[in-house]
Formats: sequence, structure tokens, C-alpha cells
Amino acid sequence: MPIYIARKIGQALVTVFAVLTIGFFLGRLSGKPGALILPEGATQQEIDAFNAALGFDKPLWQQYVDFLAGLFTGTVGDSYRQKVPALDLLVDRIPATFQLAIASFAIGLGAAMLVALLIFVTRWNWLRLALLWLGSLRQAIPDFLFGVLLAFVFSVLLGWLPSLGNQGPQSLVLPVACLATAQFALYLRLIGSALGEQQGMDYVRASYAKGQSHRSVVVAQMTPNALVPVLTIAGLNLGGLLGGTVIVEAVFAWPGMGQVLLQAVNGRDFPVVLAGLAVVAVFFVLVNLIVDLITASIDPRVRLA
Amino acid sequence: MTVAVSRFALPALGRRRRPRTLRPSGTVPMYIGIGLLSSIVLLIVVVPFLPLYDPFGQDLVDAMMPPFVAAEHPLGTDSLGRDVLSRLSLAGLVSVGIAATVVAINFVIGVTLGLIAGYRGGLLDSGIGALSDVQLAMPVVILLIALSAVFGPSTQLMVITLGLTYWVGYARVARALAMGLRDRDFVVSPLTQGGSHGRTVFTHVLPQVLPQMAVIASFDIAVIVGIESSLDYLGLGVQPPVPSWGAMITEGQKYLQINPWLVILPGIALFLLVAGMQFLSQRFTTESVAPARKGARR
Repeated sequence: MPIYIARKIGQALVTVFAVLTIGFFLGRLSGKPGALILPEGATQQEIDAFNAALGFDKPLWQQYVDFLAGLFTGTVGDSYRQKVPALDLLVDRIPATFQLAIASFAIGLGAAMLVALLIFVTRWNWLRLALLWLGSLRQAIPDFLFGVLLAFVFSVLLGWLPSLGNQGPQSLVLPVACLATAQFALYLRLIGSALGEQQGMDYVRASYAKGQSHRSVVVAQMTPNALVPVLTIAGLNLGGLLGGTVIVEAVFAWPGMGQVLLQAVNGRDFPVVLAGLAVVAVFFVLVNLIVDLITASIDPRVRLA
Repeated sequence: MTVAVSRFALPALGRRRRPRTLRPSGTVPMYIGIGLLSSIVLLIVVVPFLPLYDPFGQDLVDAMMPPFVAAEHPLGTDSLGRDVLSRLSLAGLVSVGIAATVVAINFVIGVTLGLIAGYRGGLLDSGIGALSDVQLAMPVVILLIALSAVFGPSTQLMVITLGLTYWVGYARVARALAMGLRDRDFVVSPLTQGGSHGRTVFTHVLPQVLPQMAVIASFDIAVIVGIESSLDYLGLGVQPPVPSWGAMITEGQKYLQINPWLVILPGIALFLLVAGMQFLSQRFTTESVAPARKGARR
């Protein structure tokens, strides 16, 4: 087990490093930023001075070495526009974004888990069909459109909930509802087919044969086995969920990372975007590390392989 | 891995058949899908021939007209007085065109890499597998944000980014199919007569793979339209004044209190296309393609 964990941590570090390196060179593709960032009438001296202050006058390899050295002091460079470390601009916003992402994920996955178990234990086919149709409809509406519609109904028409900004806990309801319903539809389908695949397995028949009740076979025998593929996919999807968060933040003007990143696109402020890439990569890698550890603890074949 | 469920596999004879998968099935979704899609086809194909206003023509006097009021603007006008119906139609054409381009790029990359991985196996296979894992790891919104910060947002950038990221599904299916065909006699025999690997794959393996892949590709167009409209909504895709459903919704959201139709109408158009394709595809994926796709998962 310790070797398994060490190997996974090693892989995680390599991934983050690779993302940052690719990001660094991507940022250098557009050349020196001075002419883009400074106002129209800037003289060549001003542009050169701006570039020199950011280290763009040095050869590329030296810029990369400086960048790597910066990583060890916890910086990915200063914002071109605001002259402060780019990571600092994002760090303030991380809690808001993660609040949104983690609440939606937990509610979506948790509810899907419970409902799937309910369907399989009780064999309520009508519930299965009803939720399938609803889920299909939800998945046919892109997140941003669903969010705008939620804002229209619950904020403009009914006036129950705020639709813009962060005005306390009630502001979280609509954005979370928007993301969690999509997560619920996705995971209900995944868990449903994972449980369905377990049904014909020999170990399930053996459990019935030795007289175990249907409920206990589903809950105690089938569920852990069905969870392994679901968790793996959940880990991969969480990265995508952060992408969805960017969209939903834009819909509800939620003050998270996504807003900062979109502003940075308009201002061509690449270091801020690079900091965003770093945060997403670290988050993604951490989540998958945790998923791997959970999977290994459920399924001995994984850690012994 | 597919599990054949025999009737002996179920406990206690006489119990009701339990759900095997959680998916609507039957022919009803297919007819719903055809119905929804025909309205979009009408919107894109027929509307341009109607005597309507130019989608770019502004008329501030008639701005913010609600739908179903004036015959000259059947679906009303936006904040600049542009005709909503003709803009919806043009936006649909733009979206479907973009999605078809993206899917074509995905298709070529995915099928090529998938066939190579499945046919050759070994190191190339693991390499392509690793590449597709990387693709899955990076959310396309974040990736496009990064690229747009460097190059500036544009339609071309979005098409290239989507084209280079969404090929993994095709690669997986093509790989699985190619692996199954690799040792069949009609593939091996040209090799024994001195045929090259490349030619064998192209003339004997590819034709076997294409039909299934084409089905998947045609349904992916709606998936890409959904993603593309989200990117347009964020301002990372189609740039004004060219209309897109996503950007029309961004614009309309500002006037949600005054004229919600500016959000609802493009929303309906988007829903009709995405939902229509989804319902139609369920018919095909559950009946004919699903077994092969299932086998594609490692």
C-alpha cells in the first residue's frame, strides 16, 4: 500500500508539472505582451521597459528557469494588468468556486446514490422511468440555458431567490440547483447501469442462494462493486465540473474563479489564466488521488496489481 | 464487458423483471426526436426563403418588440431592433456548420488514431491511450479560456480547440472495432500476399468501422452544438455581429425583466436541436451501437 500511494503521488506531481510547463510555453506563443497590454499611444521605450520588467528580454530558456524557480516560492508570475502575484487574485475566489462545485457534486452524487438504491431495492419501475425522462430532458438543456431559465422563473417571475451575486446562503440555491440536477442525471444513469451490470454476476446469485435478502444483496454486495467504476468516472468528471462552474458563475454573477478568468481573457492577462490552470490541475490531481485511494481500499485487486 | 443475463441468473422465479439499465427505450423517443428535429430543419432551411428582414439590419425605432405582435417581425426584435426570427435561423445555420466541422475533425483524428492503436497494439496503443486520458482531464472551457487569453477569442480558435479535444470517443470505438478485426482472415490474407499494413487497414478494416462511427458522429453534432453554444454564451466562440444562440441568450439575459422572449426563443431552438438528437439517438445507441461501444471500454 505505501508503494502504491507513493507511486500515485509521484504521478500526480508529474501531471501538475506538465500542465504548468505546457501553460508556460503556451503563454510565450503570443510573444512579448507589452504592445498588447499598454494603451495605444505607448512609445517603444515604454513597451520595452514593460517587457523587461516582466523578464521578457531574457532568452526563453532563462525565462523558463526563472518560472520554475518561481514555482518553488509559490508564484506563477505577476498579473500583467494589476501588478500583483496572479495566484493571489485567484486565491480569494477559490472558496466561492469550491463551495459551488463541491455542494453540487455532493448533492448530485448523494441523491443519485440514494435514488438508485431505492429503485433497485424496491423495484419501482415507474420511478425509474419518470426520472429517466426528467434526466434526459435536463441533459438536453445546456447548463447555461438551464441557469438562465432558473433565474427567470425563481427570481424574475416568482421573486423567491436572488439571481445575481452573493447575497448570503440563499444566493447559492439557484447555481447549485443548476449544477446538481445535471450531476444527478449523470450519476443516476451511471450508478443505474453499474448496478445493472452486477445483477447477473455469480457472486450475486450465490448470495441469493445462501438466503440473503434482496435488500441486503443490493446494499451490501452489489453496491461496493458498482461504486468502483462510478467513482473512477466521478473523479474524471470533477475536472469537467469546474468547467461547468465557470459557466454557472457567469450566469449568476457568482464571485468565483471563473469570473476572474473570463476577465483575464478580455484583458489578455495570461499569468492569471496560468494560475487558474494551476489551481484546476492541482484540484483535479488531488481528487483523483483520493479516488484512487478509495478505489484501492474498496477493491484489493487495484492495490495489489 | 457485457454480461449475458440468462433467466436463471435472476433469483426466485416469477419475480418481476428488474431494470437492467437506466435508459428510456422503445420507439416513442424516436418519434419525439424526429418531431423536434423537423422544426429545427424548418427554421434553418425554410426561414431564409421567407420575406423577412436582414438578420444584421438594425432599426432602433422598432427595438424590443415582443413576438406574435407584428407580421413583419413574427418573433419580435432584439435590443437593436434586429429581426429575431431571421437571426435565430442564421444562428442555427452557423451552429450546425461549426458543429459539423468540429465533428469532421474529431472523426478523422479519432478514427485514425483508434485504428492505429487497435490494429498495431503495443506501445503505440498505450501512447494513444495516454494521450486520450490527457484530453479527458482538461475541461474544454478552461482550455479554451487559456488559449483565448493568448490568441484572443475567435470562432476559428473554438473550432480548432473543440476539433482537437473531442476525438477520444471515436478513438475508443475505432480501437475496439479494429482490435476485433485485426486477426480476421480477410484482414490477414492481403498481408500474406504482400500487401502493406497501411493499405490493408485502409481498404479492409476502415470500411468495416465506418458505418458505426458515422452513426455516432451524426448524433455528436447535437452534443457539440450544446457545448459550442455554452462557449458562445461566455463570449469565447462566435463573435458579434454574427448571431449564435448562445450569444443571443447572453444578450437577452440583460433584458430578462423587460423582454424574456429574447432568452426563451433561442433557448427553445437550442433545446429542440439538442433534445431532438438525443431522443433520436437513444433509439440507435441502445439497439445497434451500444453492444460495440460497451465492448470499447477497457
